[in-house]
Formats: sequence, C-alpha cells, structure tokens
Amino acid sequence: MGLMKRLWIIFKSEFNVWRHDPITALGGVIPPALILIAFALLFGGRLSFKIAVVNLDQGQMGGLLRQSFDEVISPLNNMPYYQALEIDLDGAMEAYQNYQVEGVWVIPQDFTHSIESGEEPNLKMDFFNYNDDRAKNHRIYSTEIIWHFYKKIGYPAPPLEIAEQYPRPLMVDWIPVIAVGVTLLSVCLASIFNIYALTYKEQISNMTLEFGLAPRSLAWVLVPKVVLALIFGLVSGTLFLMVIYAWLGYWPGNYIWAFWLLSGLTALFWIGLAIVAGLRSRNYMAGAIAIVLSAIIVFFIGGGLGLIRYHAEDVQWYSWLFPNTHAIDPIRDLVLFHTWPVDWDITLVKLAGFAVLSLTIGMLITVRSLRRMG
Amino acid sequence: MKRFALLLRNEFKLFRTAIPVHLIGIFQPALMFSLIALVLVTPTFEVQMEPPVTALEEQLFFAMKQVGSPIGQPYIDPVVVETSNDQEVQGGQIIRFERDAGRETAVQQFGLIDSNMVKNFRNRLTAAALLIWNEELGGDAITIEQEPWLPRDISYNVYFGMAMLPLAAMLASSLIGAFLTAQEFEFNTIIEYRLSPTSRYLLIGARLFRLSLTGLFSGLVLMVVIGVMTGTWPSSLGGIGLILLAVALIGSCIGTLAGLILQKTLPAFLVGLTFSFFTWIMGSAFGLSSGFSGLYEAVSRFMPNTYAVELLFPIYYRVNTGSSLQAIILLITVGGVLFLVTNITYQSRVLARS
Repeated sequence: MGLMKRLWIIFKSEFNVWRHDPITALGGVIPPALILIAFALLFGGRLSFKIAVVNLDQGQMGGLLRQSFDEVISPLNNMPYYQALEIDLDGAMEAYQNYQVEGVWVIPQDFTHSIESGEEPNLKMDFFNYNDDRAKNHRIYSTEIIWHFYKKIGYPAPPLEIAEQYPRPLMVDWIPVIAVGVTLLSVCLASIFNIYALTYKEQISNMTLEFGLAPRSLAWVLVPKVVLALIFGLVSGTLFLMVIYAWLGYWPGNYIWAFWLLSGLTALFWIGLAIVAGLRSRNYMAGAIAIVLSAIIVFFIGGGLGLIRYHAEDVQWYSWLFPNTHAIDPIRDLVLFHTWPVDWDITLVKLAGFAVLSLTIGMLITVRSLRRMG
Repeated sequence: MKRFALLLRNEFKLFRTAIPVHLIGIFQPALMFSLIALVLVTPTFEVQMEPPVTALEEQLFFAMKQVGSPIGQPYIDPVVVETSNDQEVQGGQIIRFERDAGRETAVQQFGLIDSNMVKNFRNRLTAAALLIWNEELGGDAITIEQEPWLPRDISYNVYFGMAMLPLAAMLASSLIGAFLTAQEFEFNTIIEYRLSPTSRYLLIGARLFRLSLTGLFSGLVLMVVIGVMTGTWPSSLGGIGLILLAVALIGSCIGTLAGLILQKTLPAFLVGLTFSFFTWIMGSAFGLSSGFSGLYEAVSRFMPNTYAVELLFPIYYRVNTGSSLQAIILLITVGGVLFLVTNITYQSRVLARS
C-alpha cells in the first residue's frame, strides 16, 4: 500500500472521531468564546467610574466642576473617567452604601466663595478602597479633573506643563489586546482537546495495548494525531481571528501565515504534553484536566490580559517556562498593527525549541509506556 | 438516614478510583491563585524620567515620590535614566523635558500602544505636576478631603482571592461530578444504579452532598492560601462554609447533569470547566459588578458567584453591607431547582432506560 494511501486511511479514521464527539472537538472554541464574551462585557463596556456628585455650591464654580467630569476623557476606551450622577446628599450616600456608586463627591456651599477669595477651597470625596487598584484610580483620576478645572476657570498657568508623544498614530484598547490573548488560548485548547478526543477511543476500548504490540513504528499512530490536533488548533484560532475582524476590525492580513507559524509552534508544545497523558489510561482524565487548566492559568500569567513586552520585569520566572509568554506580543504585532515583530527571529527560535523539546520528550515517553504495556 | 450515610460513605470511597482527578480539581484553584496573585497589578509604577536639570524638574522628581495613598502604597517609583537616543523608550514611557522661552514642559514619551497603560502613566504624571501647581497656588489650591471607605487600602489580591473562592467550590464540584458521573456510563457501572431499589433522591442526594463537600474543601484550601499570602482571614468560618456549600451544590448539579446528559468524560469535563470559568469572570471576579458597565452588571445578576461574592464581602472586609437576604434566598433557590432538575434528568437518563 502506498504511503499516501496509508496516511489517508489513518486520517480518515481519525476524522470520524470528530463526528462522534463534536463537543470535545470544539473544546478550543467553546471555553475561549465564553471567556472572550465575559471579558468583553467586563472591560469592553463603559469603564468610567460611576460616582455621585452632590453640588451644594451657591455659586457657579460647582457647576463648572460638575461639567469637568464629562469633559475629561480617559485614553482608555475614549470615555470620561467618571460617569457622574447628580443626586442629593442622602440619595448619594444611600447609593454609595448599597454599592450602586463607587464614590461620592460633595461640592460645599461656599465652594465658589472660597475660590474667589482664595480661602483654601475644598471638596469631599468618599470612595471605595476595598481594592488598592481602584482606590488608586479614584485618587489619580481626581487630579485629572482638578487639573482640567484649574484651566477651565482660568487659573494662572501651571509652572510645569505636561504633554505626550506616542510611537504610533493608533492606540489599542484593552479588548483587542485580550482578544488576541484569547485567540492564542483557543489554538492551544483546541489542540489539547483534540489530542484527547483522538485518543479517547483507544482509552475506552483498551486499544493502547494493541498499539504497544504493533509491529510498525508508533509514529504511524502518533504523527497523524499530532497533525490533526494542530490543524484543529489553527482552524479554531483562525475562527477567532475572523470573529475579531468582524467585531473589532483587526485582521493580520498578509501576515496570517506568520500567525499560524507562531501559534502553531506554541500549540505543538501543548500537544507534546497532552499526548503523554492522552495515551496512558491510568491518568487519562487527570492529565486532560491538568493540562487544560494549566493552559488557562498560563493565559492569565503569560500576557493573555495585557502586553508584556514593556513589563517584562513584572512577569514571574515561571511564566517564561511556557511558549505562550514569548509568542503573545509578536502575535499582537501581527494581528493588531500589521507590523513585523522586532523580536521575530529570537521568538521563532524559542518557540521552535519549546515545540521540539516537548514533542520529542512527549513522543519518547508515550512510545516507551505504550511498548511497555505491550 | 442510615441508608443515606451508607450511600455517602460509598460516594466518598469513589475518591480512590480517581485520586489524581480529585487532587487536581481540589488544589488547582489554589495553585492558580498563588501564581496569578504574584502578577496582579500593583499601584506602584516605575516611571522613568531623564535626569532633572532645573529646580522645577527636581521638584517634579520629589513630587512624584509624594504621589500615593496616605493609607497605602506610593503610586510612583521615579527612576532617572540616561539615554543617548531621544527616540528610545525603554520601559514603556519616559518623561523628557522641553525648555522654551522660560516655559518648561514635561513631555511623556510613550513606547506603548495600549490605552490602559497610557492612562496609568498619564494619571501619575498629572498627579505629580498638580502637586507643584497646588504649591504655587497656595491658598487658591483646591484640597480634596479623602474619605476612603476602609481605614486602609486593601490589596487587590484579597478581593481577587475572595472572588475566586466560589470558583474553587464550583470548579472542584463540577469537574469531579462530571467525571464521576460520565465514568459510570463509560465503565457501565451505571447499571448498578439502575438496579438499585433505593429512592433516586437518596442516591442523587448522597452524590451531590459528597461533591458539595469536596467543593467546599477546595474553597477552604484556597481560603488558607489567601490567608497565608495576604495575611487576611475571614471573620466567620461558618459563614464562608455555608456560602461555599451553596455554590458547590450548584457546581455539583451542573457537573452531574453534564455527566448524565453527555455520558462521556471529556465533553462533560468541558461543560463543567466552561461553566465554572464563565460564572467566575461574570460573577464579580475583578471587582464588584456595580463598578463595571451596566450590561456587565445586568448579566452578572444571573451568576451565582455574584451573590456569593456579595455574601463573602462583609466576612472578608468586616463591614456591614446591609441585608444579605436576597443573595441567600437566590443561592438556595438556584441550588434547590438544580437539585430537582438533576433528579428528573437522572430519572430520564438512568432509571427510565432500565
């Protein structure tokens, strides 16, 4: 029998697995899709802090300050820092105590008078500090409001002006950054789930024993599974890219092959890990659960939620033990900016190293344990 | 009651058939928290600036050191860097100075492309520059009297860990429930359940109770890890136990239902996994739902985790948050309804086919 014919028969029989278990075959699509939807709802909407503003001022300055809340725009999602609701004092404090608003600003009766007479005008700001990150935002957002207000009411110019310069005309929001992270997660999860789907039949019907006794090389069994899992991983990832294009307008264009290459090498690392447990009956499901959960953890610690290139010092050492951490920012360059990653060569070498190491060790352990069973 | 106790004992014995799955299901959330906690955002940012030359630039350097929480951490760690290349921006941003006709400008040069980080750096520079402006304004400067809710700023890790407790209970109970139930079909041991003369409520009740206790245990493991890592412990162990037990019951039902319907371990596991993570992220995982968009807040009201977090909140933060009755009723109702649905599904998928 010709080599191609033999390969085709093997691939065809593996394809049948997907027909019988479509849910698992979609393992790289369903969880990441829901994770993406959840993050879109979490960070994709209006991120302005909802606060109550109680304006008791008898002059005009309180009103001008109130206007400032709508006029000062955050670069994040291009929305105001605050969503200011005008409520009376009692209503504001009640809303605050019921967690309906994040804070309450009270502009006192004599606000205008104290500004005009230079008698140390002050404001009161109640705010949640149950987490220090949000407390920090309350404090430093308030400085943006005051800075704007000073200029609005014509105070003398600041001794030190501030200005900004950006490297690119385009800036991306949080959601596209996360969406690319989820796309890489999808490629990895699809590859992992499909390796398990492709070895499930062998586990249930105890065919692993037959593999162990096979006279031919076990590469005939393992390589098609690896290739098919990889293909499914890349198909899932591409599906996600199409969703991102339709939703957010980002698409790698001519760099799609580079996306496939980087994410494919990353997926091969996970396939190497998955195949070890996938063909060992005793720890089959434990392996599946451990590896899938590990991939999700790596999404969180390996730059899934934010760029890491400029925060490499904040990335813990264990995150660098996974290829995702190395691959994610170059993939973002390709998808979000259509620019060639400056660290392309070194990234490719690293990812290839991860893939080769994982597949070699994974295959060796798998073959050895199968033969021992045989 | 004795029969129930025997069934429960039998359910616990199933631990021996799937030790690795139990260990992973129980300890993985604690591992996840301990790894993520180390990379969670902290308020202190390194802000690079070129060496200050003038008095005003020196003043900015010292103002940056003052920006921070009076009851927490500083927000800026100013770092002076010498750069030969004006276009080179290492570390995401650098503050350079422009001096023109007696006016000085601090130019924040970004190498960043994401708006969230730009916002963070911008706010910090504004805060420092405002300190200088306020000093110049003297009595004209506006003072903001800060009235934070708690006497000190609490680390984000505490909230993040607290919101992960329901995930731990849900994940362990749903994954193990899905696995054990689907396995009964794969190994055909489901036939023993079909032939059993015992009431299905007792059988399912024993399984769900045992899974709920497993979920509770996973949550308690995470609670200990949070306590050790952050030094923050809950005020009521009993309260935590009851809340997590209610969440774990929901997870147990979802996992068992997935196992009963799909009858294969892999897809059943996938359902438990997806449900647990979706309800976690949507259930106030990163902050109280009222702090996010209206749509997020609306959807989060359908997640059991949201109510669990609302109940856990006063236990961790030791503040009175008003009536918890609605959250308690909701968790119990959802658990009760799912218990009935699981029983009906068991009837149709197992008993009706005998």
